[in-house]
Amino acid sequence: MIVENVLAAFSEILTIKTLALMMVGVAGGLMAGAIPGFTIAMAVVLTLPFTFGMPPSQGLATMVAVLVGGLSGGLMAGILTGIPGTPSSVATTFDGFPMARKGRPGLALGLGVWSSFFGGMISAVLLVTLAPQLARIGLEFQPWDYFMLVMFALTITASLAGRNLVKGLIAGAIGLLVRTVGEDEAIGMARFNFGSDSLLQGFDFIAVLIGLFAFSQLLTDVRDREAARKSLSDRGSIQARIEHRLAIREIAKRWVVVIRSSIIGVFTGILPGAGGSVANILAYDQAKKASSEPEKFGTGKPEGIIAPESSNNAVEGGALIVLMALGIPGDVTTAVMLGALLIHDVVPSPTFIRDEPVLAYSIFIAFFIANFMMIFMQSFMLRIFVLVTRIRMYMLACVILGFCGIGVFALNNVEFDLWTLLWFGILGFIMRQFGFPLAPMILGVVLGNIAELNLSRAMAITTDLTPFFTRPWSLFFLLVALFSAAFPVFQAHRGRKVWTLFYLPSACFAVSIPLFLMGGVPRPVIGVLVVLFGAHLLWKRWKSGWKLDPRESEAHTLSEG
Amino acid sequence: MGRLNRDTYVAVFLLVVCGVLFWASFDIRQPDYGTLMPSTWPRIVLAVLSLLSLIYLLQSLRVKPEEDEKPTEAPREPGIGGWFAYWRNPILCFVMFLLYLVALPVLGMLIGSMTFVFVLMGLLGGWSPRRLLVHAVVTVCTVGAMWALFTFGLGVMLPTGMIFNPFG
Repeated sequence: MIVENVLAAFSEILTIKTLALMMVGVAGGLMAGAIPGFTIAMAVVLTLPFTFGMPPSQGLATMVAVLVGGLSGGLMAGILTGIPGTPSSVATTFDGFPMARKGRPGLALGLGVWSSFFGGMISAVLLVTLAPQLARIGLEFQPWDYFMLVMFALTITASLAGRNLVKGLIAGAIGLLVRTVGEDEAIGMARFNFGSDSLLQGFDFIAVLIGLFAFSQLLTDVRDREAARKSLSDRGSIQARIEHRLAIREIAKRWVVVIRSSIIGVFTGILPGAGGSVANILAYDQAKKASSEPEKFGTGKPEGIIAPESSNNAVEGGALIVLMALGIPGDVTTAVMLGALLIHDVVPSPTFIRDEPVLAYSIFIAFFIANFMMIFMQSFMLRIFVLVTRIRMYMLACVILGFCGIGVFALNNVEFDLWTLLWFGILGFIMRQFGFPLAPMILGVVLGNIAELNLSRAMAITTDLTPFFTRPWSLFFLLVALFSAAFPVFQAHRGRKVWTLFYLPSACFAVSIPLFLMGGVPRPVIGVLVVLFGAHLLWKRWKSGWKLDPRESEAHTLSEG
Repeated sequence: MGRLNRDTYVAVFLLVVCGVLFWASFDIRQPDYGTLMPSTWPRIVLAVLSLLSLIYLLQSLRVKPEEDEKPTEAPREPGIGGWFAYWRNPILCFVMFLLYLVALPVLGMLIGSMTFVFVLMGLLGGWSPRRLLVHAVVTVCTVGAMWALFTFGLGVMLPTGMIFNPFG
C-alpha cells in the first residue's frame, strides 16, 4: 500500500510541468531569500495565487520549492554583502562575510549551499519518518485536546515572536477575532457583518495573509526614502564562484556540526512559533560552545557558516512534521502552506497522511527534490542575483504591489478581496510600527476556525468544561502553554531572580502529571525521566547553594544580539 | 508624541473597539439549536482581548519614556510637515492603491495595474526622463507578463474595464 502511494506520488511530481514549476519556484525562492526585506513567508504567500489553478500536489510542490529556495537564498546576500537576506541567515553573516572579505567568497558560498542541502536532507528524512508517527499520536486527540493545542500554538508564538508577550497575545487575539467576521462555521449565522453582503462571506484569509505580510512589509521597506532608492550592489563586492568540491570536503570533516545543527533545526521547527530565525542563532551558539577554538568564531570559521545554514534549512522539515501530522502550522510559512491546502479543500489533521497518502507523499518527495534543485540552481542564480541587486528597492516594491493586486483578485475573482488586501495591509503596517508581532496574528487568523470548531464539538459532546483540565493531552497543552507564556519573563530575569531557579524544575514536574495520566508504559516512563531531570536540576541548584549565575543572563543577551 | 502616550492611546483604542464589537455581538441571531451559540466564541475572544488591552494599558502607564526602547532611526522633523515627510512613501502607496481600486472598474486590471505601478514608481523614485523610460519598460514587462500569465496561463478572467469592454 505504501509502495503504491509512493509510486503514485512520484508519478504526480515527476511530470515535466511540475518539475518546471518547481525549478521556477526554487529560483524565485532563492531570489526572494537573497533580497533583504523580502522574507521567505512573503515569497510563499505571493506564490499562493499561482497555485490556485493547479492540482493540489503540483501547487504544494511549487510552494515547497519556493520555501526550500527561500531558506537557502538568504545566505547569498549575507555572505556577499554582509546583509542577511532573511532573519534565518543572520548568524551566517557572522562568519560568512568575514570569510568572503578574506578572499574566500566561493568557499563561504559553497559551505553555505552544501550545509543547506545536508540540513534539508536530514530534515526530509526526519519528516518522512516522524510525521506518520506523530500523526498516530494525533489520532488520540479529542476536540478538547485540539482546542488546547491551538491555544498552546498561539501562546508560544506570542511568547517567542516579540519582546512584549502582551502585544504578542493581543496580536493573536486580533487574529482570532478577524476570523469571526462573516457566517459562523458551525451554524452559518451572520456575525459582525454590519449589514454588508461582502462581509457576510468573511475576509478571504489568503487576502488577509498577503495584506498583513507582503503588503505591509513592502511599505516598511520603502518607508525610508533614501534606502528605497538604493540597491544592494552599492554595499559590497558580489563577484564569486562557488567552490563545490572544497566545500564538501570541509563539511565532511565537520559532519557532527551538520547533524547537531540539523537536529536543532528540526526540533525548533516542531515547536510552534520558533522558526529559522531562532534556529540559526541557536545552532551557531551550540557550534561555538562545542568548538575547541570559540574565540575564532566571527573571523570566518567554517563551522560558523555550516551550523546556521544546516539548521535553518532543517527548520521547515520540523514545521512540516507538525503541519502534516496534526494540522497545526509551526510557523508563518507553514501557516501559508495550510492556506494552500485549504484552498484545495484539503483539511490537514492527524488523518491527513492516512486519508490523502498520495498528496502527503508528494509533499515529502517535493521536499527532497527541491533540495537537489536548490544545489543545481544556486550557481546559476548567483549570476541572476548580481543583476537583481542592481534593481532599486522601490521598483521591486512597486512591481510586487501590482502583483499583489492581480494575484489577490485572481484567487476568487472578487473585488472585495482587493479591499481586504488594502485594509489589512494598512493594519499590518500600523501594527509593525507599534511593535506588535504579526506571526501570532497570522496564526490566529489561520487557526481561528479550527479553535471554534473544536470548542463547538466539545460543547456538543458535553457542556461540562472539566475535560479541558482533566484529559491528559488537553492538560499537557494547557500546562505547556502556561509555562511558555511565562517564558519571556523567565528569560528576562534569568540569572538575576531566585524564582528563575525553580522555573525549569517546576515545568518538568508539572508536565510529567499528564504523562502519567496517559497510561500505558512508554509515556509514564518518559514522565519518570522528566521528573528525574527536574529533580537533577533542583539538586544541582541546591548543591550550589541556590546561587544565581549572572552568565546565564549574559548568554541570553548575546544570543539575542 | 512619546512612546508612553502612543501605547496608551493604542490600548484605549483597542478597549473601545472591544466595547463596540461586544455591543455588536448582541445583534448576532441566536438560534434555538446547537450548544455553542454563534456569539459565544467572539465574546470569549473579545473578553480575552479586553483583558489583554487592559494589561497593556496598565503597562503603558507604568513604563517611563526613558525606560522604553531607544529609537533605531533618526528622529523626524517636528510638526505635521515633518510627520508627512517621514511617512510620505507608505502614505503614497496607500493612496495610490486606493485610487487603483476605485479606478479598477473603469480601467480594468491591465491598464489599471500598469498605471498604478508606473505612477507609484515615479512618485517614489523620481520623474527624470531616464527614470521615466526605465519605469515604463519595467512596468510594461513585469505587469504585462503577470497579466498574460494569469489570463492565458492560468485561465483567470481578470476585469477588462470599461475602456476595453464599454458594454461589459
